[in-house]
Order: sequence, then C-alpha cells, then structure tokens
Amino acid sequence: MGECDVIPHGMTSISMENVSKYFDGGETVANYRLNLEVDDGEFLVILGPSGCGKTTALRLIAGLEQPSEGTIYFGDERVDGRSPSDRNVAMVFQNYALYPHMTVAQNIGYPLKVRGIPPDERDRRVEEVTELLHIEAQTHKKPGSLSGGQRQRVALARAIIREPSVFLLDEPLSNLDAKLRQEMRTELKRLQNELEITTVYVTHNQEEAMSMADTVVVMHQGTIQQIAPPQELYDRPRTTWVARFIGSPPMNLFRGTRRNGSIDIGEAGTIALDGVASGDEAVVEAGGGDEAGSAGVLAADARGEISLGVRPEDLTVTTTRPSSESVIEGTVDTVEPMGEYVLVNVVVNDQVVNAKANEETVERGDTVYLTFDDGKAYLYDDDGELVA
Amino acid sequence: MSLQDHIESLTVDRDEGVVSSVDRNKAIAIAVFLVPGLTLFGIFSVGPIVYSVIGSFFAWETFTMEEFVGLDNWIRSLTDPLIIHWSNMRELRYPMGALTHNLLWVVVHVPASTFLGLGLALLFADLRGRRILRSMVFAGFTVPPIVIGLVLLFVYDPQAGIFNELLRVLGQDQWVRNWTQSPQVAIYALIAGGIWVHTGFSMLLYSSALSAIDPSLIESAKVDGANAWQRFWDIIWPLVKPVTAVVVIMGIIWVMRMFDIVYAAGGAAGGPNHAYSVLGIEVYRAAFRPEIDYGMAMVVALIQLFIVAPLALYIARMN
Repeated sequence: MGECDVIPHGMTSISMENVSKYFDGGETVANYRLNLEVDDGEFLVILGPSGCGKTTALRLIAGLEQPSEGTIYFGDERVDGRSPSDRNVAMVFQNYALYPHMTVAQNIGYPLKVRGIPPDERDRRVEEVTELLHIEAQTHKKPGSLSGGQRQRVALARAIIREPSVFLLDEPLSNLDAKLRQEMRTELKRLQNELEITTVYVTHNQEEAMSMADTVVVMHQGTIQQIAPPQELYDRPRTTWVARFIGSPPMNLFRGTRRNGSIDIGEAGTIALDGVASGDEAVVEAGGGDEAGSAGVLAADARGEISLGVRPEDLTVTTTRPSSESVIEGTVDTVEPMGEYVLVNVVVNDQVVNAKANEETVERGDTVYLTFDDGKAYLYDDDGELVA
Repeated sequence: MSLQDHIESLTVDRDEGVVSSVDRNKAIAIAVFLVPGLTLFGIFSVGPIVYSVIGSFFAWETFTMEEFVGLDNWIRSLTDPLIIHWSNMRELRYPMGALTHNLLWVVVHVPASTFLGLGLALLFADLRGRRILRSMVFAGFTVPPIVIGLVLLFVYDPQAGIFNELLRVLGQDQWVRNWTQSPQVAIYALIAGGIWVHTGFSMLLYSSALSAIDPSLIESAKVDGANAWQRFWDIIWPLVKPVTAVVVIMGIIWVMRMFDIVYAAGGAAGGPNHAYSVLGIEVYRAAFRPEIDYGMAMVVALIQLFIVAPLALYIARMN
C-alpha cells in the first residue's frame, strides 16, 4: 500500500448519504439514514446520550465499521468499504488505546513506523508533536506511568503526527477530572484551529459540544435530530427531545389544548398564541410538515394538543398576579440556591416546572405566577416538532 | 520539634508493649495456620527429595540402604546407554537414551504445541462458535494421558488405525507401518500425539490472553495503518509474551515428566529396545522392575527434578 492511494491531506470534507448500520442481522439498528455533511476544516460535534449511535457513526467514518446501507464520501472519493488505513483518518479512543508495551515516543511514532518512514524523520516529527503538546519530558516512559492528562496528550500526539485528513475523537475527555477537562477542551480547540483538520468529535457532554463545535449534530435513538451551530441549537431546538436535551436544567414543556387562538393549560392559566406564533416565519415553515401544514397548525381556529416550551432562565417568578394576559399559576415546591442563581421548582398541574430566579424571594407553599417573553417561547405539535 | 510532636512520640513509646503483644499473637496464629500445610509439604515433598539425595550416594540391596558409595550411582547412571547413548546419537539412531529422548520432546513438542495453540487461538478469536471449537480442542487435554497413549496405539495400528488408513486413501501405501513399534519413527509418532493433546492447553491460555487485550488497541493499530501482520507482530505478540513464557515452561515441565503416553505405547521398556524410553520410564523400571536398582532410580528422578524445579520456580515467581 503506497501513499498514493491514501486520501491526500488538506482538503477533506465528509459526506454521509442515507447511511444506516444494523447489527445482529438487522435486529439492532445503531444508525438509521444518517445524512451528514462536514466541511473541510470544520469542527463537528456529534452529541447524544449513551446508546444513541453516535460512536457507531464515528466508527463508520473511521472505517472500523462498514455501513449496512448508504454511502460515505471523503471529498469526491467514495470510502465506504475501504479499510481505516486507506482513509488516512486518525482517531483518539475514549480509553486512549495507548500500546502499553511501547514507550510514549514509540506510541506516537507508530503510525509513521508502519508507513515505513525512516527512523530519523520519525524522531524529528515525534519531537515536534511532543513539543506542541508539552509532553517532551515523558517520551521515554511507558503509558502505565503517565497521568490521565498526559495519556490524553500522547493519544492526541499519535493522532496528529501523520497529518491525517480527518481527525476523529470518541469521548476523549470523559476520563479526565473536571479541571483537566476544561484545560484540554481549550487545548483541543486551539490545536484544531492551528492544524485546520476536519474534525468529528463525539460526546455526551453538551457543555463540550456547545463550547467547541462549529456545528453540533444531535442524535437520539440512531437518528439525527438536528444539525445546527451551537447557538441556534439552543435558540431554536427543532424537537421537544432536543429542547429538553440541550440546556440545564432542561426546557419546561407545558402540555395544553389549543382553543380560539390561545393555549389552555388547565387550571394554571391560558396563554395567548398570537404573540408566540408571531415569531420567525421561516422557522414556522421548517417545522410542521404534517397534512395540516404549518399554516393550518397556527390558524386561530386550529384545535388539538400542543406543547409550549419555555427555558427555566426565561421564566420570571412573581408573587403578585401580573397584568399580562399569559400567566401560569403554580405553587412553589422547593427552592434550591445554587449561588449563581436560585432554582425555583414550581408545581403546575401536577408537573414540576424549573425556573431560574435571581434572589430567594419565595418559599415552599407560596402561590406564584410565571411569566415569560413571548419571543422566548416555543410551540411543539403532537409529534414533538417545532411549530413556532 | 513542636510540643505536639514530643507528646506524640511519648505516646508511641508507651504503646510499644501493646504492639509487640499483638505481634506475638499474630505470629502464633500464622504458625498455627502454617503447620498443616508445612507438615504435608514436608512429608510428601521435602522428605522424599532429601531421602533421594542422601540415598543416591549409597549402595542398595533392593529397598535396603547399604554402605556409602560416593558418586558411584551417579556415574553409573549417567554413563548408562539407557540414559544417554552417545554412540547411537552420533549415528542419529534410536534409542539415544532416555534423557536425549526427553530433550527431543522438549525441542519438537514444546515449540510445535505452543505455535499451534497460538495459531488456533488467533483463528478462533473472532469466529462464530468459537466456544464450541475451543472446548473441542481443549477436551483432549482433559483426557488422562494413559488413555491418550492407548488411543494413539489405535490411531497408529497397522490394520485398524485411522492414520494408516489415511495413508492408504492418499495412495501412500509405502508409508503404512506399525508406527509405535518402528524404532526410528515411533518417538515422532508419540510426540505428534503429545502435540495434539497439549495444543489444547496452550490454545486455552492464549485464548484468555487474547481476550484480555483491549480491542481498541487493535482498532487503534488499524486506524494507525498497520496491516494484519504488523498488528500481530507489534501489538498482539508483545502483549501475549508473558503467556508464551508460561506455555513454554509448562510444556517443558509436561514433557520432562512424560510417562503415561510412553508407557501405554511401549510398556516398561519404553518401546522396542527402549526406542522411545523417557526418564520417567527409567525411574519406574529401575525402582520397580527386576533387577531393582534403587540408587539409579533416585539419581534419574533427581535429574528430572534438577531440570524441572528451576522452571517451576520461575513460573511460581512470575507476576
């Protein structure tokens, strides 16, 4: 295998078209019809809870798994069916997968060694990357005697030494303690900016995803829920699932019945729909899509179940009934002072609602009124799709 | 030194009496628990060894110790052609002596069963139904060696044996013979049988060593660009090396103690004209068959021990 049939370094975009992966003869569906575009040099994060198929998606890109259906392209070249070594990808595994019997220098130099690069050149490049990652003092040690952070750096060094066209990371920070994780996050981002390698990063940690990604792909039960830049993901979650997955504590969802242009959420109150619905028209079109059509869904006389979503940070808690029309009434259950803010848990129709307040002004048993800015509320239809 | 430290050191001094009484109790407990084990070990292991070492320097009248004869037994045993047959060795003709035969087992059987075991373990590692295959290969090792010897007699039987039948089917009739009774080839026939049995053991050890390797190491090597051979040579082989040491040493110990298979195939003589006799057979014959030569039996048993004991010690002290 010569270097010639390896995808050249520099310009690599990744595209997955209708990629599905089944295990156990179709019994287990790990990925279903993934459609994904990663631009050259982009930092893409696949975010999802454990078991959502995000690691399988990464392994499909790496070539460690072959898709059951669909095609994968690197640039213009079709790569599904090719072995990992033919794809010129580098991968950092969750447990780092350092070769325990080799020294740090041997570990880092291994991808060059198997490519037949002469020892002088190898040593020079090992020196280069170890300096870049500040592990030059550890090169003669075995991985077993390194700290978690140092192992992480060695794994990164081994991945970047051969200048891969695609850089894949599978939960690389999950084995580090909080402080180190923060540090490595910054370092990873810096490294990716400097090297401009197309990167796919898998994590279940939304903080990591939001802080590092150019684009976030949210996955759930083997399918892609939403692909968006981090801010958009937070501002316009496309489904109730994404809405509740992104943000901590999660977004509050009030189930209610639509009636005469407003939502009736039981005894707790009624919310006027026109304010909420007057949001971004383009987004209205993007949502919906059912036989009723988005226009129908928002029509004043439309009926049926609907969910109103408001983030805890967008709810205002007051003890006196405000004059505003859209007010939700509830009883304070618990108050949790978090330092930065006070989390007020309010029972509304037997459902606990989280609200972030600035001060501890209420206590258990108080009747309180929740209000919000119409522009910061979301409507989801029966299928959990964003309407407005 | 602060006052606090001073007070603490005083307290420590005072506690010493208590500490030593605790230690005494502990020592008694340790002794009590050790006594049964040490007694058995003494009676059945250390005793006979010491007895043999002493006995090997004395003349024997059947089972009665007579006068001190110095190294006579040793010289007689080591120059006995049944133990080392120098002239036949020069002509590469069997019998070459029991010690030589044992070493031949080591040289042929141990590497062969080790590599076959590793090969099968690698082959079975990712195979569907690997547990059944592994059990089948390992089953041979669970059979008593004396039975293996008898089975080999059947396998190599000139009329009914499957091996000769196979040769006939393949049209190689000129090779058909009574394998266990043909002096120049019989030992290899038995070694082949030994390999067949012992491969199961080394395969099992290698299988567990392979399954202990983190699969992400192999995947990482794949991503790094290593081909199948490089993955084996750079990653798998170094990681199963400690097991290789165990497999090889256990193999050497197994063949140095060889008795049953040879006895079943060739009786107390170790084959026609002692063609494939081993040290175990010689000990047995010297000790229990007329003319009884107890001194020689002790010497030969000690030679076996000298070869096996350091290996066993090495295994026992391995991490």
